[in-house]
Amino acid sequence: MKALHDDRGTAAITTVALLPLLLVVLAGVLQLGALRVAVTRVRAAADLAALVAVNNQDDRELARTGVLRLAGDAPAVAREYLARELELSAPLLAGSADEIAAAADIAAFAAPPAFDERTGARYERPTVRIAAEVPLRTPVFGALVFRPVTTVNVLAVSAPR
Amino acid sequence: MREDRGLATLEMTLVLTILVPLLFSILEFGAALERWLAQDAATVQAARFAGEVGGDTPEVRGLLAEQMRASGVDPATVTIEIAPARVGWREPVRVSVASEYRIAIPFLFSTTLPLRSSAISRGEVNR
Repeated sequence: MKALHDDRGTAAITTVALLPLLLVVLAGVLQLGALRVAVTRVRAAADLAALVAVNNQDDRELARTGVLRLAGDAPAVAREYLARELELSAPLLAGSADEIAAAADIAAFAAPPAFDERTGARYERPTVRIAAEVPLRTPVFGALVFRPVTTVNVLAVSAPR
Repeated sequence: MREDRGLATLEMTLVLTILVPLLFSILEFGAALERWLAQDAATVQAARFAGEVGGDTPEVRGLLAEQMRASGVDPATVTIEIAPARVGWREPVRVSVASEYRIAIPFLFSTTLPLRSSAISRGEVNR
């Protein structure tokens, strides 16, 4: 009976036994933090690409009428800069920047008012909208029986002031 | 009872040497990620501004320095690269910022993490 009530060393044994679990929790927390950084980066990439594209105005039209109008190649500019921006975060991506940008749904609404069927938004000014699915590497999640790739949906909308 | 003397201390020491590094790892890496996010945001703003003003100007570097200072980083310890220095109309301009963040985990290690951020914008100055 005495042995049953002997608590000596219990805390130490419990801590050592729980150590793998604690390490798993630590790894998961760090992976979650890294994922948050990656998500913020790809969102910033899409925002900047949309901003660059919306500044691609039809200069002749602007000079002639004083009205802001998107140039015809605005979607191509958005795609090009989305690829450029994503390339800067290539180690975080689970796919090539060019492929992700090529698959992105990019729409230019040159003649407002316009209705965006994808988002349900109504635009009163010339607008560029980027919607992309970006696969991100999450190797620790993969090791913890979750998916090694986490796909985030990114939406960026930009219109000139 | 005499046998138990010191056992609690020994256990506590063992527990602390495991739990304290774990706790500090979460805190230190969390702070590093927060710093990285702040640096990323500052870099994006600087790239946008560099496109607007036409490249590497004191205003762009001043904006970056102000942003880094606001994040608790000494701008003197940050490496900034803006290429090209003079950007043409609708040409890409890239801003890269690199800094170091020191991580110290009690009982384990201390190291320096390199934090790098880059963003690309487009020249908007029609010279």
